[in-house]
Amino acid sequence: MKKVVVHPERCVGCMQCMLACAVAHSQTKSLFGATLEHPRPRPRIHVGVGPANAGFPNRCRHCDPAPCLAACLPGAIFLDKQNETILIDPDKCINCASCAMACPFGVLRFHQDFTAPPNKRVAVKCDNCEQRQSQGLIPACAEMCKVGALTFEELDEALKRKTDEIGHSVIQGGEPPAGDSFTLLKAVKKAQCELTRR
Amino acid sequence: MSYSDKKFDAYTINQDGQLMLAKAAQDQVETVWDRHQAQQPQCGFCEMGLSCRICAMGPCRIDPFGEGPQLGVCGADADILVARNLGRMIAAGAASHSDHGRDLVELLAKVAEGKAPGYSIKDPGKLRAVASEFGVSADGKDDLALAGLLADAMQDNYGTKKSSLTLLARAPQKRRAIWDKLGITPRGIDRETSEMMHRTHMGVDNDWVNLLLHGLRNALSDGWGGSMIATDVSDILFGTPQPAKSTVNMGVLKKDMVNIIVHGHNPVVSETIVAACQSPELLKLAAEKGAKGINLAGVCCTGNELMMRHGVPMAGNHLMTELVLVTGAVEMMIVDYQCIMPSVSQVAATYHTKMVSTSDKAKFPGMEHHEFSPENAHSKAHDLVKTAVENFARRDPGKVLIPVEPQEVIGGMSIEAILGALGGTPEPLIDAIKAGKIRGAAGVVGCNNPKIKQDFGHIGLTTRLIANDILVLDTGCVSVAHAKAGLKTMKALDLAGPGLKEVCGALGIPPVLHVGSCVDNVRILVLVSALANALGCDISDLPVAGSAPEWYSEKAVTIGCYFVASGVFTHLGPMPPITGSMNVVKLLTEGLNDVVGATFAVEPDPEKAAKILIRHIEGKRKALGLDAREA
Repeated sequence: MKKVVVHPERCVGCMQCMLACAVAHSQTKSLFGATLEHPRPRPRIHVGVGPANAGFPNRCRHCDPAPCLAACLPGAIFLDKQNETILIDPDKCINCASCAMACPFGVLRFHQDFTAPPNKRVAVKCDNCEQRQSQGLIPACAEMCKVGALTFEELDEALKRKTDEIGHSVIQGGEPPAGDSFTLLKAVKKAQCELTRR
Repeated sequence: MSYSDKKFDAYTINQDGQLMLAKAAQDQVETVWDRHQAQQPQCGFCEMGLSCRICAMGPCRIDPFGEGPQLGVCGADADILVARNLGRMIAAGAASHSDHGRDLVELLAKVAEGKAPGYSIKDPGKLRAVASEFGVSADGKDDLALAGLLADAMQDNYGTKKSSLTLLARAPQKRRAIWDKLGITPRGIDRETSEMMHRTHMGVDNDWVNLLLHGLRNALSDGWGGSMIATDVSDILFGTPQPAKSTVNMGVLKKDMVNIIVHGHNPVVSETIVAACQSPELLKLAAEKGAKGINLAGVCCTGNELMMRHGVPMAGNHLMTELVLVTGAVEMMIVDYQCIMPSVSQVAATYHTKMVSTSDKAKFPGMEHHEFSPENAHSKAHDLVKTAVENFARRDPGKVLIPVEPQEVIGGMSIEAILGALGGTPEPLIDAIKAGKIRGAAGVVGCNNPKIKQDFGHIGLTTRLIANDILVLDTGCVSVAHAKAGLKTMKALDLAGPGLKEVCGALGIPPVLHVGSCVDNVRILVLVSALANALGCDISDLPVAGSAPEWYSEKAVTIGCYFVASGVFTHLGPMPPITGSMNVVKLLTEGLNDVVGATFAVEPDPEKAAKILIRHIEGKRKALGLDAREA
C-alpha cells in the first residue's frame, strides 16, 4: 500500500506542506477561502526546526500498535484496518490530551475543527488524507512537496531507492549525490550556527 | 514566549548588547533576534534564489535536487532565476543610495536659490574642485551660482542624457578601458536601475551572464554615481570630515540629559538636528526641565555622518537600534530612511520615547510624521528638539538602565584627512606598502545580521588583519563595531603588527581608520584610484581587499558588486541567495577574475576569512614584484 514517505535530508523548510494540508482539511478547499473560515483550518503536518535551522516535516506515523490509541480513555482513537490509518472520532474525544502525552512524536494538536461539534476543541492529527484518496487523489502534503521530501509511494520502493543511493555513495567512484547546491547552503548555515557558540 | 534560558552572549559580542537583551527580556520587548528565531526554518527555495515571484504565471520554484520542476512557468531555469533575483537586489540597493544622493543634489539646488534657510556651503574649496570635474568652472561665479550649476550637472548624471557618468574620470584609465570593453560603463544613475527592472521583467533578459553584467553596470552607476555624488555633496554642504575624537556604545546616553537619537541615512535631516540641539533657547528650556543639557547621539549611517563631521557620539549599529530604546533613556528617535526596522516604534511604546518620521518616502506605524523639506527643515528640527526636551519630564527613572561607560574613538578619516595625515600626498602610504611595513589595506564594511553573532565577524576579522600589518578602513555598521572594541584609538596600535604599528604610530593614526557611512564607501574607491594612479597600475593590481562580514541589506549587495567591478576582491560573511545556480556561484567566485580582475569569496568564519584576505593581499604583492609572505 502506498504511504507518505518522509525524506528529511530533502526538506528545505518552505512549509508548503503545512499550507496544503490545512487547505485540504478546510471547507472551501481554497487557500484564500481557508484563511477566512471559522474555525480556521490547521495543518496536521508540522515543519520543525532542526540543527543549523534545517527544516523537518513531522507527521503522524500511524503506528501499530499506536500509543495514542492505547492511551485514549473514551476510545475515540481507532484503527482503520483497510487503510492502515489511525483516526480520531471528534464526537467521542473528551480533549484530555492523553494521546498527546503518549505520542513520542508530538504530532497531536488541539483545536476547533469544522468536522467536530461546534465550539469544542478536540484532538486533531494526520488522517492520511483518506477523503482525498477515496476521490483518487494523493495526500496533499506529498502532492505539494516540490523537492521530494514527502513522497507517496510503496515504502519498499522508497527504501530500494535509498539502498541504491547508499550503494553509490559507499562504493568509490560513485556519482556525487544530487543537490550539490543545497549541500553548499547547508554547510554555510551550519558554519554560521556554530559561530554563535564561539 | 520564553525568555528564561537565553544565553545572550550567543547573540552579540558586545557587553552593552548583552545587558540590554536581558533588560529587553525583562521588559517583555521582542527583538530582531526573537523574530529571526520565529522565522526558522527559513525557506530554502528563497535562500537559494530558486523562487520567483516576478509574474502572475507563477509563483515558481525550482527543485535543487533535480527531480521536481526544473523550469519556471515561463521556461526560466535556475541560472536565470538566481540572476534575476540578484539583479533586482542590486537595483534596489543602487536606487536607495542614488535617491539619497538625489535628495542632496536637490538641496544643493535649493541652497543655490536661497530657498533652504539654515543650510549653506561649508566647503567652498570642495565645491569648486567638484564643479570643475563636472565641467563647471569657478571663474567669476560666487559659491551659490556655482552650486546651482553643479546641481544641474549632477542631475544630468541621473537621466538619459549622458553616455557615461562624470565621476568615472576619477577611476584609473586601465579600469575604465575594461568597463568600456565589457560594455558596462554606467550611462545614467536612474537609467541603469530602470533598465534592470526592465531586464528582469518576464521575457526580457534571459541570458544569465548578460544580466549579471548589467548588474555590475547598475552597481557601478551607484558607486561612481549616486553614492559618490551623495558623499561629495554632503562634504560641500556640511563640511569635509577631519579627524576628531568621539565616543561610542550605549554609554553615550546620559542619565541627566535629554537624549535624542537620529537614525537613518541622510545628513539633510540629521544636520538640522545637530543645529537645533545647540539652540540657546532650547538649552535653557532643558535646564528648566531639570536636564543638564541636550545629548544628541546617532545610530547607523546618519550617526556615522554626524560623527565624521561633528564628533557626535554613536549609540550603536543596526542590531542595536531597538536596544538603544530599551535603555529607557531616550526622549525621541528621529528617523529618515533606510535600515529602520518597523519594529522600533513597538519598542518605543514600552517606554516614553517619541518616534518621529521625516520623509514621506519612509513612514512607519507608530511614528508621528513631520515632513522635512529644504525650506522648513531647520525650523521643524527646532520644534522636534523642543518636543523632545518637554518629553524629558515623562522619563521614568525606574525604567532607565545605561549599563556601560562610553568607549573613545577617533573618527573623521575622509580621504582628504588621510592625505593630510600623510603630509598631503599618498607617497608615505605607498612607500610603506612598497617597503612591506604595511602589507596592504582592507575595507571592512557593511551591516549586522542576526544570522551571525553581532560583531563577531567584524572584530574576529579585523584583529587578525591588523596583527598581520594590514591597514583597515571601515564604514557603516562595522565602524561602530570596531569603535566599540577600541580599535580606533592610538592604544589599538598594541594589537597591530610591528610594521603597521610603526607607520601608524609615526603618522598619529590608529590601525583602523573610520572612513564614514555606507555611501562613504566611495571614499575608498577614490583612495584606491589615487594609489593605482600613483603606481601606474589598475585597482585590481593593488594589495587591497574588501569585506562585508555580516551584511544583510540589498545596498550591501550593490556595494560588493561595485567594488568587485572596480577591481577589488570582496569577501562576504553571509551567503547571498545564489547557491541555486552553481554557474552563478562559479562566475562570482572564480570567473569574474578573468572579466574584471576581481571576485567574491564567501566565508562566515572570520578566522578563515582573515586567512583568505591575507593570502590574497600577499599574492597581489608578489605579482607587483614586492616582498610577499607565505600565508
